[in-house]
Amino acid sequence: MYQYSEFDRSFVNQRVAHYRDQTQRYLDGKLSDDEFLQLRLRNGLYIQRLAPMLRVAVPYGTLSSKQLRALAAISRDYDRGYGHLSTRQNMQFNWPALEDVPDILQALADVDMHAIQTSGSCIRNVTTDQFAGAAADETIDPRPFCELLRQWSTSHPEFEWLPRKFKIAVTGAAQDRAAIGVHDIGMRIHGNDDHPEDALIDIYAGGGLGRTPVLGALIREKLPAKDLLTYTEALMRVYNRYGRRDNKYKARIKILVRAMTPEGFKAQVDAEWEQIKESPSTVPASELRRLRDFFRPPAFGRQADANTMLADQRLTHRDFDRWVKHNVTPHRADGYAVVTLSTKSVGVPPGDVSSDQIDAVAKWADQFSFGEIRISHEQNFVLPHVPKADLFDLWQQATSVGLGSFNVGLLSDMICCPGGDYCSLANAKSLPVAEAIQRRFADYDYQFDLGEIDLNISGCMNACGHHHVGHIGILGVDKKGQEFYQISLGGHAGHSGEGPKLGQIVGPSVARAEVCDVIEKILHVYLARRFEEESFLGCFNRIGIDPFKESVYAKAA
Amino acid sequence: MPKLLRNIDQNWQIVDEGDSLWQAENDWQAGEPLQVSVDSEPDPSWLEATAIAVDFPALTDGRGLSLAVLLRTRLHYTGDLVARGNVHEDVVHFLARSGFNVIELPEGKDLQTALTWVNPHSGYYQPSVANPETVFVSKN
Repeated sequence: MYQYSEFDRSFVNQRVAHYRDQTQRYLDGKLSDDEFLQLRLRNGLYIQRLAPMLRVAVPYGTLSSKQLRALAAISRDYDRGYGHLSTRQNMQFNWPALEDVPDILQALADVDMHAIQTSGSCIRNVTTDQFAGAAADETIDPRPFCELLRQWSTSHPEFEWLPRKFKIAVTGAAQDRAAIGVHDIGMRIHGNDDHPEDALIDIYAGGGLGRTPVLGALIREKLPAKDLLTYTEALMRVYNRYGRRDNKYKARIKILVRAMTPEGFKAQVDAEWEQIKESPSTVPASELRRLRDFFRPPAFGRQADANTMLADQRLTHRDFDRWVKHNVTPHRADGYAVVTLSTKSVGVPPGDVSSDQIDAVAKWADQFSFGEIRISHEQNFVLPHVPKADLFDLWQQATSVGLGSFNVGLLSDMICCPGGDYCSLANAKSLPVAEAIQRRFADYDYQFDLGEIDLNISGCMNACGHHHVGHIGILGVDKKGQEFYQISLGGHAGHSGEGPKLGQIVGPSVARAEVCDVIEKILHVYLARRFEEESFLGCFNRIGIDPFKESVYAKAA
Repeated sequence: MPKLLRNIDQNWQIVDEGDSLWQAENDWQAGEPLQVSVDSEPDPSWLEATAIAVDFPALTDGRGLSLAVLLRTRLHYTGDLVARGNVHEDVVHFLARSGFNVIELPEGKDLQTALTWVNPHSGYYQPSVANPETVFVSKN
């Protein structure tokens, strides 16, 4: 993992001091609400429907057990005993008091963390593959590049006041688990960990969800790693200068790229880049290697062959077998596995975790996973390096505190934004919909029979629940003051080496009470029409939307 | 008499200076102080100005920062570069690092607070107009 230098440490401490002064001036009436809004947003603080919400940055979703324990303590001391894992790999607290936030930020700084640029119209926390550095299908670890971007984008003198928020995602694996196609900038890195200075990077620009979903355009192929920051600077400068500022719904870079055409945008970025290609921001090979060294694999011990034991345990414990099937991913090192701890169980909002659960995950990370934890954009915890011989022990402990759900990738492992219960932007509630679906389809055998289905729920057009890229997407809409839900099908965030695809809307939106029935009809069409072993997505791609449409909107006989 | 923040030999200070008679781009002639808007395209003729001011329409409008960078690094303008308009005490460090050497705060803003936060960090993660040295710990 990356380790803070004295420079990093003093930087975040100085930032806390500045924010403490800003908070005090606000409380003293010297800063207006509008002025303070801009300053607090850039330190992660929203004012929500019920209370402030503080979004803590978890850079590229990687945490140490020490950091996770500090988050558990914050959730106890300043919140109501829980935290929330967000779809951007961060952790959010829903009940902090505004006056306490400088102290919370100091508690974060004490464990080398911060909430800098987790909201506001600036470059946000860079996200990546939650299995980075562990996945068997990875060719190069994206995290050194993410850290390079984190540092470069922190309090950048020129790019803190953009037309709109700006999200960068990076991947280095065959399967894109970072959804690079639906980000303002997506980066796919080619190369290997031995020579990060020789890496080549494909740059996609102008992707995004929200009310105008669009896939990013490839604007630069095989950018040399040394040019990553100068090229990004050129791109950001074009966006900062020409992105629309008159209408916040047209201010994202996707609108600019579309207005200029991807070719026109690329030409403008290239022209700017020509001027700054050779500059102090050109990244020396030594810097790329220095960052790479922080992310060297841990010292994997030689593990005794656990396969026979594991097979026995799976035979004698049905639920453990299911958990291994769904929640355990192949690791690149012999004798190890990647474990996803699902936060999705009936009656708990997706991504919500109690202080005790957070502490438990920190303990298991120390016990089983070299003290390292990841947060996935599906709102689950990941332990990246678990010996196969310890899986059974971990599963038993996880089950005892409600983190043993064996549903990763299944219908009930849904992505869901906080929705109208918390968020002041939402048109409709999302959590009760998630819970109703989880209750209706709680039967494991049914879910298992359905196989892999991504169900994503957003409470409004802002698409924090990524509904556009759900195999089944649910969007809350407002119809004359009533909450309705629009269902889309066939989206995905990048699948089997294919780029992402946006879902198609089935038809008119439906009332909340009808959502579960509609989902059931959709699933029924799939079960009736699928070929053997054919996934929901595969079946949808083959038969198209019409059979689903007919079933959902059939007139009662 | 407006009070300003001015960078004098790498030291930011509060100074009392006379009003400049800023001329808008369409009225301006060489030898006069020029005020441009944040969406202007930098023009080499601007080098003939006695000073250049960039008018910030809002605290949140970062276009003036890019414009300052271009004036300093592309046109190699070395004269006074003044940030004015809707400028806020807590953003002066962005202005300072992007190449402004004079900052004029609007009515009601506190110069002393701005001076306190003109440089909130002892170091930064990027090279800038104010300090173009590379920042990488390991240099080739």
